[in-house]
Amino acid sequence: MKVSVGDVVLPGDFSEEIAAVGEKSKVILGPGLRKEIDGIFITKAGTLKKRAPNTYWVDNYQKRYIPARGENVIGIVVQKAGDIFRVDVGGSCTASLSYLSFEGATKKNRPKVVNGDVVYAKMLVASKDMEPEIVCVDSHGKKGRLGVLEDGFVFKCSLNLIRKILNPECPLLNSLKNEWPFELAAGMNGRIWIKANTMRETIALGNAILGSEYLSNDEIKSMCTNIASILAGHIS
Amino acid sequence: MAGLTKKLQLPKSVLDMKFMKKTRERIEKELENTQDHGSLYSNIITNEMRSASGNFISESSFIFCETMLEGRLSFKGMNPEIERLMELENGVKTEEGSGEMVKDVSDDILAKKMEKFNKMKRPNPSPISDLTNTKKKK
Repeated sequence: MKVSVGDVVLPGDFSEEIAAVGEKSKVILGPGLRKEIDGIFITKAGTLKKRAPNTYWVDNYQKRYIPARGENVIGIVVQKAGDIFRVDVGGSCTASLSYLSFEGATKKNRPKVVNGDVVYAKMLVASKDMEPEIVCVDSHGKKGRLGVLEDGFVFKCSLNLIRKILNPECPLLNSLKNEWPFELAAGMNGRIWIKANTMRETIALGNAILGSEYLSNDEIKSMCTNIASILAGHIS
Repeated sequence: MAGLTKKLQLPKSVLDMKFMKKTRERIEKELENTQDHGSLYSNIITNEMRSASGNFISESSFIFCETMLEGRLSFKGMNPEIERLMELENGVKTEEGSGEMVKDVSDDILAKKMEKFNKMKRPNPSPISDLTNTKKKK
């Protein structure tokens, strides 16, 4: 079926709109779109979205992570194999993380990473036919926001929720950030790591994040004030 | 196709200099390599295959489609290191947003001062000189 931007789309649908734009200017086809010889086809079920000038993608509900280059992910170290760590990132196979790709690591000075550690890393290589590779440093050799995540609590959620809470227009983090101190790392692979001072605060934060999946912006705001007042002890 | 892949090259006069010998050799080698590749696969790769993707760029990640915050955040002093990074990033954003430098002297004050200054310079500008001035400017 022929579809246009904003429609609910199914695999096999095609968009003449995108094909027409592509004849004149450069077009970026995001996830869920595929170019064939005779047109642009949809490969995922969701809503077709567009961002100016010419970026199109399908926004779909998904829980399985498919590694993609450049994404920040949360992984769990499962094996030490010589000079690499095998890290479970939720993809079809484990990702490899070299021990040299930590800040300040040298052959003599190995980073202190053990099995079961949670790492926040960037996808460096992600291809269909190869094991993905992740790194904990940026191109300048600085760790920035990446590295081993100590303490805290990890939980899984859908890939949509990650994108929702990281959207600058989502009120969740804005309404929580002034309530109590906390730290958060969201991986594009559907894992969230949170850390707060007490267990009550950690649970409240986790519930707030998971609860916001199917709520509108106004509902998220009222939920956050509700949670904050419960935590502050106004309502038992 | 050759036109599309053409790279910036050093001028010949520079390459002829004595100390550029190694660079010259390297460039020659590169040229040879690329030509070899072209002829090696010319019977398999058709021009159609080369231009098949057209204007379309495939991107497998959402991070290049949607605008998203950095995934690592800290609030109210939980992790000062991360908060410093966040502040730095926000600082860059606000500066970009205003698009102007911080001014020591505001526009209004500058306009007033300049008016006074001009008056001091030419207390009684004659109409003739004014006319000539405007003409010159035009």
